[in-house]
Amino acid sequence: MSSAEHRVHNADKTCWNCPAIDLAGKVDFRACGQSTEAFEKREPAGSDGQIMAECKRRPELGVYDPMSITFADCPEWVEGPYGYMLDGMRVLILGMDGYLGWTLALKLSRLGYKVSGVDNYSRRAWLAERGGHTVVPIYRMTDRLHAASEVLGANINFRKLDIYRERDRLAGFIDEVKPEAIIHYAECPSAPYSMIDLDHAIFVQENNVLGTLGVLFTMRDLVPETSIVKLGTMGEYGAPLTGRPIFEGLFPADAVLRWDDREWSLGGELTPRDPVSFYHVSKVQDTFNVYEACKYWWLRSYDVMQGVIYGVHTDEVAADPRLRTRLDIDEWFGTVINRFVAQAVVGFPLTVYGAGEQVRAFIALEDAMECMVRLINSPPEPGQYSVVNQMSGYYSVMSLARTVARVAKEGFGIPVAIQRLENPRVEADRHPYEPIYDRLPSEFGFEPKHTLEDVVYKMLELLTRPEIKARIEEKKHLIRPSTWWSGVKKEAGTLEVLERINDA
Amino acid sequence: MFGPDAGDPPVIGNGSDRRLLVVGLDGIPYRLIAAMTAKGVMPNLRDLVSVGCFRQMSSSIPEVSCVSWSSIITGENPGEHGIFGFTDLMPGGYGVRFPNYTSLAVPPFWERDPDRAAVIVNVPSTYPARPMNGVHIAGFVAPNLDKAVYPADLLPMLRELGYRIDVDSQLGHSSIGLFLEDLNGALEARIRVAERFWDGRAWSTFMLVFTGTDRLGHFLWDAYEDEDHPHHGAFLEHLSRVDEAIGRFVDRLGDRGAVVVLSDHGFERLHAEIAVNAVLAKHGYLRFSEGRTHLTAITGDSVAFALDPGRIYLHHERRFPRGGVSHEDVDRVTDELAALFAELKVEGQRVVRSIHRKEELYRGPLLDAAPDLVLVADEGFNLKAGFKATSIATRGPFAGKHSQPDAFLIARGAEDGAIPARPDVVDVVGIIEHMLQGG
Repeated sequence: MSSAEHRVHNADKTCWNCPAIDLAGKVDFRACGQSTEAFEKREPAGSDGQIMAECKRRPELGVYDPMSITFADCPEWVEGPYGYMLDGMRVLILGMDGYLGWTLALKLSRLGYKVSGVDNYSRRAWLAERGGHTVVPIYRMTDRLHAASEVLGANINFRKLDIYRERDRLAGFIDEVKPEAIIHYAECPSAPYSMIDLDHAIFVQENNVLGTLGVLFTMRDLVPETSIVKLGTMGEYGAPLTGRPIFEGLFPADAVLRWDDREWSLGGELTPRDPVSFYHVSKVQDTFNVYEACKYWWLRSYDVMQGVIYGVHTDEVAADPRLRTRLDIDEWFGTVINRFVAQAVVGFPLTVYGAGEQVRAFIALEDAMECMVRLINSPPEPGQYSVVNQMSGYYSVMSLARTVARVAKEGFGIPVAIQRLENPRVEADRHPYEPIYDRLPSEFGFEPKHTLEDVVYKMLELLTRPEIKARIEEKKHLIRPSTWWSGVKKEAGTLEVLERINDA
Repeated sequence: MFGPDAGDPPVIGNGSDRRLLVVGLDGIPYRLIAAMTAKGVMPNLRDLVSVGCFRQMSSSIPEVSCVSWSSIITGENPGEHGIFGFTDLMPGGYGVRFPNYTSLAVPPFWERDPDRAAVIVNVPSTYPARPMNGVHIAGFVAPNLDKAVYPADLLPMLRELGYRIDVDSQLGHSSIGLFLEDLNGALEARIRVAERFWDGRAWSTFMLVFTGTDRLGHFLWDAYEDEDHPHHGAFLEHLSRVDEAIGRFVDRLGDRGAVVVLSDHGFERLHAEIAVNAVLAKHGYLRFSEGRTHLTAITGDSVAFALDPGRIYLHHERRFPRGGVSHEDVDRVTDELAALFAELKVEGQRVVRSIHRKEELYRGPLLDAAPDLVLVADEGFNLKAGFKATSIATRGPFAGKHSQPDAFLIARGAEDGAIPARPDVVDVVGIIEHMLQGG
């Protein structure tokens, strides 16, 4: 292997990428003049200007060319397990009480980041509204924070607030914390929840779209050099029936549109989105809002098109029962693999919608957390809207069901059935699917480390514990879907109990 | 008597209660003053010339504002004051920094006698402002007005009066009409602020620099030279407004006060911009790795590179991490480069007027930080580093460029014989000292 291949993924990034930069302005030395307009509008470097920067962490550098110093050369960037990291980087997690937010908060804290977070506990409230609960018990935030401090030595700065309805408080907290990266997990992540009725559709779109818009304006005013890592979803793209590849947000440089004997380059344009619920529409709207904010205000962003996430284990959440992250299995907030594992544990035949040939992208919780750290460590350039497809593989729903069934049978002796249900969603049962997910491996040094089988096994270990199994039993009536995209009010009927593959 | 290496900086105006007014006109050449005073466009300067000394003055090398003004206000050469250009190298590497007032190694003349209060407005390269006996509003390059002002409680007043450090030079590319409006607006605000200080503060030294004149030259030098140019009148009108302001200040100073009016460099018509690094690259002296054309990406076998405007640094093994030029090679390489640029022609015209080794130009404790060679362009050519340039010569969007030999100095209240026949910018502090001691 050549030395270049050993090069840490973000070694050659420069102060131009670093959030500790204070972009002092632009000067055109050919005309001796500084452009006051460019200072105010944060215009990027043109051919006729030279960008000037100051470092908030190393004021002794004075005013300098931000391309001058690489992460590898800067003493503030220290080498860690996921590339160079900004020493004691301040990371703000919006939605820190959630499945991902809490998990990431602990991981970052353990790695030495200074973590702060906000949440209004709405995920807990939505579950309560639907009559559900997390099957892995989680603690009150005060207990979580206390345990994080006691067990991991993590000193997390938390503020309870609603990012959309308490924008002033959010701004105050951002001004106080001065985050160097903002991780935006503070959205309602459920397609079925957005399809329950008009009120729920309005709630999800308002909460997600307008909440994010407020974050963007606040960043413009208070922390324009901070990067925002915004959680999108692979579901924004839909599953194009033409079979064209699902690129990473933007068309690659050599993509071409041909029509009527003419040809155009598509390179760099946003790829089409084909959202599959009103929730997914909110994520697409976010994409455009973030894209525009980067264009207008020189903000920088990663839009993380995350595959369906699964798993319940990281070293940090497993370190103490009080540090566990939530696990939902109901029709609104349970993701498919997590739900299948819970179903297997209580002998509820795995519920596959329609033919079960829908193909989706997936990623394990631990792998997703690693991706997030790598993205935090490698901020985009000012003005850059960048997209990664965060996934480690793609499977049909039926093949997932079979895998869960096999692991349950072989590892735990649990017999598992699979049933096909009427599909309450409007989606193609059979479709081509070719996602591209090269950027995280090639540009950020990410390699998936957790196989589907291993993660399912680990989940079964936890979920078969009697106290958790009892909590699944208590809410298993919320698994069969009753939210129809058509608006019909009924439970999805069983088309067929497909097989009882694990019967001895 | 006033040249480099004259020992410790003199204490200016020590014990003198004579008031001093210094007015800078950035980028205004000697020959423009001669012509405009004769034509009646600048009658107040004509009056000063008639009672004072009027000299053509040599600018610094390189003839850029930051170097020249730093020499003017310290009386020292860059080997002493440490400002060699708008950009400089971070020690020990390839990083590029923008030196400012904190890098100036010699205090300016107004700081040397703490008993003489001073008002200093818009002197280039004095950002960020720092505490002193008086008022200091830094000139360009000054990214943030908040850090450009001492004492800071003046900021609300400056904002109320519409003060801005610089015109928006980008406007010159999009609309000359808006650019002129901005230029005149910035000038009027600067005058308003200066008048406020003139009356409202106790001072012994008052220094005010007009920098819009330089921007005007870059964008509209052709309009100055060509009487039929649609903006010729606007060019002269700006000069006339500057002259009027000077007249008002000189009147209020009275006859006993000392007056210096000067520029930091001259101006001339621009024919072509020359990318020095493109020349070096073409002849194999400079290479970049990984397709990046930034100084941080130069290869170990690169022999030399340039920073703006024509400062050439040998890629010396003792100075740069990847440098390969050994101590023994320095003379040979320097000779080769000097020969290369001496012979450089564009469209049959010689590009470089003179080539200077650092030891010829600079003296002082900071000599090691100096570029190894400095090129002075011939008439009409403007030298640039041009790291990203793909061709050696380009026309560019500008009409004018700096000229080194053609700055000017007017001094009222000095004995004619005490001022060199052809002063240099480093002589100005000595001249001021002479004037404050009674002329």
